[in-house]
Amino acid sequence: MPAMEAVVVEGIRRVFTPRKREPVTALDSVSLTIPVGEVHGLLGPNGAGKTTLVKILSTVLLPTEGRALVCGHDVVTETKAVRPLIGIVFGGERGLYTRLSARQNLEYWGALYRLSGPQIKERTAMLLDRVGLTDRADQRVEEFSRGMKQRLHLARGLMGDARVLFLDEPTTGMDPLAAREFRKLVGDLQDEGRTILLTTHDMVEAETVCDRVSLIDRGRILATETPRSLGSLISRFQRIDIEDAPDALLAQLKLVAGVSSVSPQADGSIRIEVNEDGATALVLRHLVDAGITSVKTSLPSLEEVYVQMIGERGLVV
Amino acid sequence: MRAFLAGARIQLRFLRSYPDSLIPFFTAPMFTVIFLMIFRHAGRPDLTAYATVAPVFIALWWLALFNAGWSIQIERWNGTIEMLVAAPSSFAAVILGRITTTTMIGVVSFAETWLVARLLFGATVRIHHLWAFVATIVITLATMAGTSVAMSSLFVLTRNAVTFSNAASYPFYILGGILVPVSVLPHWIRPVSSIVFLSWSADLLRAALRSTPMHDVGFRLGMVALLGVCGFALGAWAMRVILVRVRTSGELGTM
Repeated sequence: MPAMEAVVVEGIRRVFTPRKREPVTALDSVSLTIPVGEVHGLLGPNGAGKTTLVKILSTVLLPTEGRALVCGHDVVTETKAVRPLIGIVFGGERGLYTRLSARQNLEYWGALYRLSGPQIKERTAMLLDRVGLTDRADQRVEEFSRGMKQRLHLARGLMGDARVLFLDEPTTGMDPLAAREFRKLVGDLQDEGRTILLTTHDMVEAETVCDRVSLIDRGRILATETPRSLGSLISRFQRIDIEDAPDALLAQLKLVAGVSSVSPQADGSIRIEVNEDGATALVLRHLVDAGITSVKTSLPSLEEVYVQMIGERGLVV
Repeated sequence: MRAFLAGARIQLRFLRSYPDSLIPFFTAPMFTVIFLMIFRHAGRPDLTAYATVAPVFIALWWLALFNAGWSIQIERWNGTIEMLVAAPSSFAAVILGRITTTTMIGVVSFAETWLVARLLFGATVRIHHLWAFVATIVITLATMAGTSVAMSSLFVLTRNAVTFSNAASYPFYILGGILVPVSVLPHWIRPVSSIVFLSWSADLLRAALRSTPMHDVGFRLGMVALLGVCGFALGAWAMRVILVRVRTSGELGTM
């Protein structure tokens, strides 16, 4: 019976021990289950552990502790069973033979995925067409733009007809149009029954293509929900926007329990942010009592959820 | 077998894209000139066979060893080594296919070396024992490729495999008796030389070029083959062990 879960991660911990330096814990007790056919987003800042998890799942890296299964096969003890089932797409410029043509790159990977000669030709032509590179098929990859390389990366990841695709920041370097096309392609791949684990920084991407999103930071998964549920998960971080209010009222609102900030916005409105359950009701009561009825409440976007849960860390990793 | 052929095919394409990796085709004739001039100056035209076989071995071994290192290095540069390891095909078989292709192409150096000897020095190289000569070449090429896989597994551990592979060729030139026969080297070196397949191969090839009868050809060829099989088995095992090690340390893709 085929596994219903495409990916199962149980208590994975990964510690790197650099020479002459303190050990670094890249993943700490990470558990995650991705059902077959799901597009799952792994959202987190640089150094959060996203790529480490992808590398463990793609058998490139061994976990220090814990267990991970892909389509029911252990990624440590059953690598031979796992490898034909997975496709890996790492973002960025690297990962291709730049002095070879796009076609030669794909043909090589087709052979490594044990396709026959006719299968290689057929899949190469089909995938080049799918990623819009047919006209550039015989051009050296070093002459490609970054977006074209990224599309070729994706075609390469699909050469083996993978059931589970690991896309590690796949839209890095793509222009907005190409990124939009890419997201459409991810939807098509999902329609074919493939499971996709997508790591990204891009909130719009996560919200657009992912069925569920896991927020990861400092090697720990903070939450796994649908993009919409993640918003409601921190509904206590609700925002209340008002058009006009006297300074005395604003000063009074700042003292209400659970109000984290009262700040003017660029459009002249005032935004009141709360960080405790029940605080919204208290603020609304104050506003109504003061005769203010032009009030708008809203849930945070995924980006705001991300910032709230991971924190405003600037460039610190 | 499919992985081996995939490695062979990609290597042919790489050789077209990176022609600098065929530099021994330019150095082999020069070595021939140097060695022949030394032997002629020393009044030893009888050592012509040594002077014409040595550059070929230098070219072949350099190609095998350099490509063992280069195959690892280029995968690191391109950022493909992790994907290669995660592919269903055997990493060692792919590397073997790549090195075998290069060493087979390296046989061309026989022709250019002997042509230089003929054109510049009027020296004719005659093969007196053709079958022994051909068998030695075939088995030596296979052994070179197999042994190079063992070396490439070590190169996975180094950050600059090409530099290491360049340096690693020289001890083999000495231990293999490529130019100076092992029999004239210090006694303490001989046991070490006997486990270096090049020493058996070089002796066999030189013997095949002499008119005197060859002795123990089967045994000596068997030794070359045995050392090749041992080299490849050791290499494939080492590759597995080392890949587990770098998957544990997380240094596989580190440059």
